[in-house]
Amino acid sequence: MNFSFLDRLLRNWLTLRKPVSRLQAIGLGVACILLCLTGWWLITQGAAESRLVGPLTLPSPAETFSKFSELWNDFALTRNVLVTLRRVSIGFALALMVGIPIGVTAGCFPRVHAFLSPLIMIGRNVPLAAVLPLMIFIFGAGEKNKVMFIFVASVAFVISDAARAIMDVSARYIDTAYTLGASRWQTISKVLVPLAAPTIFSACRQMFGLAFGYIMLAESIKIADEVGGLGYQIQIFQRRGFREHIYLIILVIPMVALVIDQVLAWIQRQLFPHLYGGDGMLRSLVRITLIPWESMKSLFFYRTPVSLPSVATEERPK
Amino acid sequence: MSQPPAQVVGMGTVLDHVRTPQEVLRPHVVEFRNVTKTYNAGKTDEFTAIRDVTFVVEDVVEKGEFICVLGPSGCGKSTILRSIAGLEPQHPATSGDVLVLGQPVVGPGSDRGMVFQDYTSFDHRTVLENVTFGLECLHMPRKQRDELGREWIHKMGLNVATDAHKYPHELSGGMRQRVAIARTLILKPRIILMDEPFGALDPLTRLNMQDLLVKLWKEVQATVFFITHSIEEAVFLGDRVYLMSNSPGTILEELKIEPATSSANEMQRQPKFLEAVYYIRDKITKLESNQ
Ligand SMILES: Nc1ncnc2c1ncn2[C@@H]1O[C@H](COP(=O)(O)OP(=O)(O)OP(=O)(O)O)[C@@H](O)[C@H]1O
Ligand SMILES: [Mg+2]
Repeated sequence: MNFSFLDRLLRNWLTLRKPVSRLQAIGLGVACILLCLTGWWLITQGAAESRLVGPLTLPSPAETFSKFSELWNDFALTRNVLVTLRRVSIGFALALMVGIPIGVTAGCFPRVHAFLSPLIMIGRNVPLAAVLPLMIFIFGAGEKNKVMFIFVASVAFVISDAARAIMDVSARYIDTAYTLGASRWQTISKVLVPLAAPTIFSACRQMFGLAFGYIMLAESIKIADEVGGLGYQIQIFQRRGFREHIYLIILVIPMVALVIDQVLAWIQRQLFPHLYGGDGMLRSLVRITLIPWESMKSLFFYRTPVSLPSVATEERPK
Repeated sequence: MSQPPAQVVGMGTVLDHVRTPQEVLRPHVVEFRNVTKTYNAGKTDEFTAIRDVTFVVEDVVEKGEFICVLGPSGCGKSTILRSIAGLEPQHPATSGDVLVLGQPVVGPGSDRGMVFQDYTSFDHRTVLENVTFGLECLHMPRKQRDELGREWIHKMGLNVATDAHKYPHELSGGMRQRVAIARTLILKPRIILMDEPFGALDPLTRLNMQDLLVKLWKEVQATVFFITHSIEEAVFLGDRVYLMSNSPGTILEELKIEPATSSANEMQRQPKFLEAVYYIRDKITKLESNQ
């Protein structure tokens, strides 16, 4: 290996913010995982007594992965993942349905924002550990309190992020829309919301990851006969002292999160081709579904077929 | 204001009534009466951008005038333009009246189209969707407005087949400004306000855009307010040139310019063209040294 090769390699690797090819990015990620596994294996190898870290603290990789089939079959891993996912999804979807319209309104009208800001402030700083028992008082045992817990934990963040995204759209787009004859409502629906949508989507994508963490907290409390969920499983394993299973679940959760995040990323790319390139399948879909609605409006509101209703045609002789 | 059917007698026509003064006196296209604009009035950072600006642009039958506004940086050119457009915070003026076609300006509208210096294409819309934005707001049926949109994309010298479905970030600066002009002109506004629309373009593109603008302006017959820092551009494009003084800005001088007879590139070599340019340049240099 000569000096100039090393030099070139270093220069290549240390260029600031130089983009990485997809293959190389995956390779580097895999290298990190392998490194961690090797470390794990090194500190837990040998007979139980001679290990660097005892098996009660950290079982070896072989011991851990050997329990996977038990986790999968006897403890119904897939079902538990799905139960957990359903709770987060419903709670988070509720938060989006309530939070985005309110947030957009607050972003468009500073007075609404000023009015709501105390509530947003409280919602963002609410201690989740205190909310959980409250949810159980209010919604009783069962599914509802978990779903509502996710809703309460995320709705204030959805509102403030949506409001922020709308407020961050440059005023010149509003000016442009107005000078092209857009009404206030048209400016909101055709300019402000679409321009803010990618920012809102990214924020929500990140928040979904957080919500997925919160649900474990809610699931660790079982009062009645509600079924499973990953959080509840962890609780059981802890009581029985099943360390391997807990470690496995810790590994499974990021994997599930990764899959969900990739799906959301795909949706994001298809919705906003102006930012991420591609053919914007979902955007086209949205537009196509809007066509009948739009044609209906044309029938009712559009009355001047040839000349446009501008001052030019009204005031000037032909 | 459609005239009732008139009786034709040989080469004469009998009108059905004797015309009244109101009919003949057409309202001025734009009129400023002692307009003053103070930003942040009443606060510590209060700043008077324009003071006592008074001018009038007449309605010339069958032809809108092309008005160019020249002046040192910060003298209030954009302030005047945005007051005509009715955009905040320039609208409403602190004192004085801004009238468009005899009526006080109450807010923005598509009768006063505006082309901004920064690129303001809607990033989430394709070129065609950008151009037809105003028609969409009028609820014109999709087929009809797309047809009109394609026609205007073509008129602006863009390629309908390849460019219509591009997004703004895939366009060059010149192409973006073409889109911005197309979406304004497609609405046939009575007044077109242009705030240094070619400021960010390279000189050659700029000359091409000037020729294109003159051609299209003749077609749509609108009154154009055109702000520029280029004296050549002002003299080439303008029927009238307003020279503004330093802030607080007022209109110092009004020049009437002969209409251009050839393309931008050729016009700008003629001696009488250059004479006008040098005159204005001396004026502005003097203004800036008095600052
Ligand atoms: N929104 C505002 N708030 C406070 N001051 C402003 C505002 N807009 C403009 N000004 C001030 O008013 C003056 C005139 O501004 P204006 O934008 O009209 O100048 P201009 O002639 O268009 O300048 P330029 O040629 O650089 O575009 C400037 O000194 C500017 O600092
Ligand atoms: Mg300006």
